[in-house]
Amino acid sequence: MKRWLLVAGLAALAVPAFAAEKVKITFWHAFGGGRTAFIQRMVDDFNYTHPGIEVKAEYKGSYRDTLNAAILSARQGNPPHIVQIFEVGSQLALDSGIFVPIEDFVPADLKFQLADYIKPVANYYRIKGKFNSIPWNSSNPILYYNKTIFKKAGLDPENPPKTFGEVMKACEKIAATKAAPKCITWPLHSWFVEQWVAEQGALLANNENGRAARATDVFIDSEAMKRIMKWWKAMYDKGYYAYTGKPEDWDGSNQIFVSQQAAMEITSTSDVTFMQNAAFENGFELGTGFLPIPDGVERNGTVVGGASLWLTKAHPKKEQEAALTFLLWFTNTENMVRWHKGTGYFPVLNTSVKVLDWQHWFTRNPAYKAAFDQLLASKANRATQGALIGPFPEIRTIIENAVQAIFQGKPIDQALKEADAQADKALREYNASVGK
Amino acid sequence: MANEPHAAYKNPFLPWLLLLPTLVILVVFLYWPTIDTFRLSLYRVAFLGLKKTFVGLANYREIFTNPEYLRIFWNTAVFSAAVVFFSMAVGLFLSVLVNQKIGGKRFYRLFLIWPYALSPAVAGVIFLFLFNPQAGIVNYFLDTLFKVRPDWLTEPILAMSVLILAAVWKNVGYNVVFYVAGLQNLPGEVLEAALIDGASPWQRFWHVTFPLLAPMTLFLLVMNTIYAFFDAFPFVDLLTKGGPNGATNILIYNIYRDGFEFFKTGLAAAQSVVLFIAVVLLTIVQLRWGERRTHLGG
Repeated sequence: MKRWLLVAGLAALAVPAFAAEKVKITFWHAFGGGRTAFIQRMVDDFNYTHPGIEVKAEYKGSYRDTLNAAILSARQGNPPHIVQIFEVGSQLALDSGIFVPIEDFVPADLKFQLADYIKPVANYYRIKGKFNSIPWNSSNPILYYNKTIFKKAGLDPENPPKTFGEVMKACEKIAATKAAPKCITWPLHSWFVEQWVAEQGALLANNENGRAARATDVFIDSEAMKRIMKWWKAMYDKGYYAYTGKPEDWDGSNQIFVSQQAAMEITSTSDVTFMQNAAFENGFELGTGFLPIPDGVERNGTVVGGASLWLTKAHPKKEQEAALTFLLWFTNTENMVRWHKGTGYFPVLNTSVKVLDWQHWFTRNPAYKAAFDQLLASKANRATQGALIGPFPEIRTIIENAVQAIFQGKPIDQALKEADAQADKALREYNASVGK
Repeated sequence: MANEPHAAYKNPFLPWLLLLPTLVILVVFLYWPTIDTFRLSLYRVAFLGLKKTFVGLANYREIFTNPEYLRIFWNTAVFSAAVVFFSMAVGLFLSVLVNQKIGGKRFYRLFLIWPYALSPAVAGVIFLFLFNPQAGIVNYFLDTLFKVRPDWLTEPILAMSVLILAAVWKNVGYNVVFYVAGLQNLPGEVLEAALIDGASPWQRFWHVTFPLLAPMTLFLLVMNTIYAFFDAFPFVDLLTKGGPNGATNILIYNIYRDGFEFFKTGLAAAQSVVLFIAVVLLTIVQLRWGERRTHLGG
């Protein structure tokens, strides 16, 4: 009899444990290597401080792989709760119809967080006045330069070139003094072209960059484009510009710069931490500056690159609320500070910037400062807001092919005209396939 | 009928039951996806199948009229022909060399087969490092010896050559394995007779060894063609991404790109069907042609 009582007592104790089963949330992201571990530590902290929720973070491969996996799983009726999607996939994510417009679901007492985003980030991710996703990792292209080589070439190591013309002049000096085999490198990637278009205040697509209404025309044979290509081609022909020959080869360009084969590199601000370590290991002094822009144009600013976090449809209310709780915690003031320091991605909240200022972070780490100043100096207009184009990945390849054709000697006007026709066709087909 | 001596199973359902696991796997992983690919090639598909509209043969019309796609077919033909020819020729040449009675031939054979054991991804990365124009070892030596530094992946012809070289290097080991086996099973008396008749090594090879190896050559021709058409994806993805300006874009890479990067699943499916039919036709032609010229199992 006593034994039965004991069993009954234990059973009674066990019941509440079952009743309070944890809400399980899955979160898919595209960060491999050290960043996987970094994210996992943040997730562990969340799970520890939120006993009712258990978040499981999974690395799903590249941005594209992650998006593909999310769409396929939604098709099978079992999507993850939270998916990281790259900025140019925003229109695609909207059109896919598998996500909820997140702003509508943020509880009233947490709405203040949406008002806290720094302006350039809010401009990019607020589509038709509404946040459809939570901005997370954001970056820009900046100029990294090797101060040691600059000194050897007789250039001012505290004054990096700011325009296309100044880059050309610096290259002439570097080539003349043989301070480095090549002058400058950046990945042959459409992202830089898009940034230079925005810097000139020009648009990449009609209907105000696809922001006022769905884009139906891509502008590739614009004057802004021609200015970029003319300079790039001249840099290539003179042997100043170096790349590995493979398009979108981020690591390859980093290797050229870090091994001191080139004096400058233009690449993402998310590499600041990596660059500082690499410069230290390879024994040179690193400098950072604004993205050089075409001569004689007013600097409009850069477009925010990176990714944001999207919430999928078709989950029970409890799970959706738990997922939102995690999302808003994950991107709150202190976690954004932590994320910025660990990776170099921007602190995207005004309050995070205040915390960093209070810690004198930017004065102690000048490399991060150039990156951030450039972002804050961006004007808010349709150009720097960035284009929303459904088939953006394909358009990027079309632009990259055009650049390579120009290198091979195709006249710039003709190459851009052909690329423009291809891009318009791709956009037409995409718009037809989503029924718009 | 049940007493027929050749009938191994009394119950007519038993053989089907035993075959069932194999059939299920074939249907689920091979036949069903193949049929689905044929079906999808007739649709315009958005978001990997979330939305689709029937468009008939429009995808095929696009593939066969758009100059971009015609160029991809041409690239694929050049790449495949070169890879098949060189990996078999080099494989045969090396096999004949290591089939001689020489010291250390076991080591030679081992090292020749080694590249085949690498995954294509690793092979691709090795070639990427070798042919990096700024930091690669190939240009380091060329610069030291001849003062030249070719931009390997920026020139269309050079880029295609590097790609072919990587694919050949990776597959030579496979051909060596089969050719060495073939060479060792050749009837010794025929070669001996030729030797006694005073045939030169060159004559012995072209008039005796090579014809006797014909069944092996035919088999390898089919296998190498399949390799060149289907397994070259990692090399293109790692080395050139189809560049410069589409000069190394081959069908298998473009299928991936259209399907998974550009979300044009219908077009990708149509290209898969074309590739499938091309390989089936080529294999039939090779086997027909081979039947007349070889004595399989003879």
